[in-house]
Amino acid sequence: MQRMTYSFPEEVLEHVFSFIQSDNDRNSISLVCKSWYEIERWCRRRIFIGNCYAVCPTMVIKRFPEVRTIELKGKPHFADFNLVPEGWGGYVHPWIIAMASSYPWLEEIRLKRMVITDDSLELIAKSFKNFQVLVLSACEGFSTDGLAAIAANCRNLRELDLRESEVDDLNGHWLSHFPDTYTSLVSLNISCLGSEVSFSALERLVGRCPNLRTLCLNRAIPLDRLANLVCRVPQLVELGTGAYSSDMRPDVFSNLAGAVTGCKQLRSLSGFWDVNPAYLPAVYPNCTRLTSLNLGYATIQSPDLTKLVSQCQNLQRLWVLDYIEDSGLEALAASCKDLQELRVFPSDPYGVEPNVSLTEQGLVSVSEGCPKLQSVLYFCRQMSNAALITIARNRPNMTRFRLCIIEPRTPDYLTLQPLDTGFGAIVEHCKDLQRLSLSGLLTDRVFEYIGTYAKKLEMLSVAFAGDSDLGLHHILSGCENLRKLEIRDCPFGDKALLANAAKLETMRSLWMSSCLVSYGACKLLGQKMPRLNVEVIDERGAPDSRPENCPVEKLYIYRTIAGPRLDMPGFVWTMYEDSALRLS
Amino acid sequence: MGKSGGATHFHSSSSSSSSMDRYSSSSNDPASTICRRSSSDLSTDLKLGLNSISPNSQDLHHHHHHHSFSYNSSTSISREEHLQRPLNWPPIKSILRSTIVDEMQNKLHPQSERNRPSSFFVKVYMEGIVIGRKLNLLAYHSYDGLITVLCQMFKTTILCPNKIDEGVLHYGKYHLLTYEDQEGDWMMVGDVPWELFVTSVKRLKITRAERCQL
Repeated sequence: MQRMTYSFPEEVLEHVFSFIQSDNDRNSISLVCKSWYEIERWCRRRIFIGNCYAVCPTMVIKRFPEVRTIELKGKPHFADFNLVPEGWGGYVHPWIIAMASSYPWLEEIRLKRMVITDDSLELIAKSFKNFQVLVLSACEGFSTDGLAAIAANCRNLRELDLRESEVDDLNGHWLSHFPDTYTSLVSLNISCLGSEVSFSALERLVGRCPNLRTLCLNRAIPLDRLANLVCRVPQLVELGTGAYSSDMRPDVFSNLAGAVTGCKQLRSLSGFWDVNPAYLPAVYPNCTRLTSLNLGYATIQSPDLTKLVSQCQNLQRLWVLDYIEDSGLEALAASCKDLQELRVFPSDPYGVEPNVSLTEQGLVSVSEGCPKLQSVLYFCRQMSNAALITIARNRPNMTRFRLCIIEPRTPDYLTLQPLDTGFGAIVEHCKDLQRLSLSGLLTDRVFEYIGTYAKKLEMLSVAFAGDSDLGLHHILSGCENLRKLEIRDCPFGDKALLANAAKLETMRSLWMSSCLVSYGACKLLGQKMPRLNVEVIDERGAPDSRPENCPVEKLYIYRTIAGPRLDMPGFVWTMYEDSALRLS
Repeated sequence: MGKSGGATHFHSSSSSSSSMDRYSSSSNDPASTICRRSSSDLSTDLKLGLNSISPNSQDLHHHHHHHSFSYNSSTSISREEHLQRPLNWPPIKSILRSTIVDEMQNKLHPQSERNRPSSFFVKVYMEGIVIGRKLNLLAYHSYDGLITVLCQMFKTTILCPNKIDEGVLHYGKYHLLTYEDQEGDWMMVGDVPWELFVTSVKRLKITRAERCQL
């Protein structure tokens, strides 16, 4: 019988696939049939690896030989708060070495919470002839010498973004390594650097790059120099100032105001360290254009903050310190109807008594006044179930809700009850909630609500909450789309974890620290689940020097097809089948 | 320059890592606290004096009390209450922590220039010696202090241009201090006021006196 061939030529399929950018869709395409798998893998240009230890570089390269863009994440999220000890891992060098030989046309590298050395940077600079984008988010391990190599060699570099990285800042001369012929810069973020870069080099650099859209300076760049820089880049879309303070000098003010007003495309402002409020009016003419404003380091008081924010009618994103107070947030709610994201950080995180008048009321006001509000990070000192219920009812479109009540286990301040019903209302009403962080006094009941309602939840952060294993069981058995779970200081132990072991393979990772999971349970889990790496992190010494029922300090479990990693420091042990032999 | 981007690590020196110690028998072990800390954490704690108080450090106690009293002096907050704050809580990133700390330090010890950085390291070379040294210029307030330290560091006599003794005939075997300014020119140290010098210096070089026409 003659078989009809219905398939398109490969080139046609490849062309069709090129319109599919989403990773999930591309993964689905690969599953249709063998020939689609083959065609797809040869034309996949962008790879996202949420956990660098879930897979090894050779596997990635083998399956996807023509990658142009790679994004890798290393340490768990709680590393941001110093919960992951120094030296845990997340080294990118093996990836760079592998890609240097296999991906000569690599264009973009984006790393988050990884360790990258100067050697890696030098290898990147020399290996990828068309290298264009380097984003190092919360990375560490490199110095300005590595940056010099990138500047000197990457002729086609468009983007250099060091956001929140820890750089061994030897001096500012690295910037001078951009050759005079280099003009392709589009985005530069050096806000994390401590020392002054060579100012004349920076001026010349920004002056000769006509496509520069984003310029985020560091604190060391003084205000009186800012105007000189900004007036060379009137096409700027995003500006991060340096220190925003100086003695009040009319000429500095007018130069600055003139330069900033000249940026007709400006949409985003950040920086604002050491703010002298007298200089804020310099940005007023731009306020109506702004869609993003980061005042997270601006230690100024509510009246100045309120005045600034009230003029930004088109604001979509605001990051601010709690100096803004309830009154400022009320003004925000009245003025900024397009607001989508609000983050309020604590100005006095370690004080016991409140230093500002910021309560749950501020958040309630914004939830009432801003119909598009979907992403919230809010630090405060008091909360009530009533407020949370109101917020939930006001904003069923909420997708990210992170609340941090500064004192652990704080109850509803009106009723002294746990905040279970409040958070329950959040998950019940906000059906598209993807990310949730809990705080305050919480029993197992809140986890029952979460397991029942939070069906779209992908990431959950829990601290000082719950009564028993039932809490953890509710989460693991109920939250179908859960990918990342991070828990600290909760009475969750072996039972829930072992009962839901299979669930862990459907998630990216689970972090548990200062909980009650025993070493014995970790060993069992490691033995039962070969496709999980069960890492015990314990700085007290080898876990088998203590009884098996002794809780481990920290536990990090993640699915992987690469097996146990080989670069663990002395305080990390991976539990697996013959771990009983290896650990002796 | 030292590490930037908020490399401070806040590690509480309290003996209980969390309030979970009624569950876990071994976390009360003082050795566990010691293992957790590296020496850089210790110096950071002492410098910043913000987190829970170590039993040994009186200064920390004062800082912390001062800080809380500056906001609410009517409340007497016991040391025990401070010590109960859990380690690494609330969850804020190091960059925010260090910004807030700077701000608090400014409030406690106001400086004349708010935006002055705490260190400014420059390279120092001596003519004829390949390996240079690094020096924090902000640790000194005048040329005298700087030259004294350099004399010790490089084991030589550095002459100050305005103090050259006319009677010294063989000053050729001594050294002079020069610096590279922002425009790339090499100048004699000592001609301009100290504050202006600090803002214009890029690096230092100790040259033989006979090289400089005086």
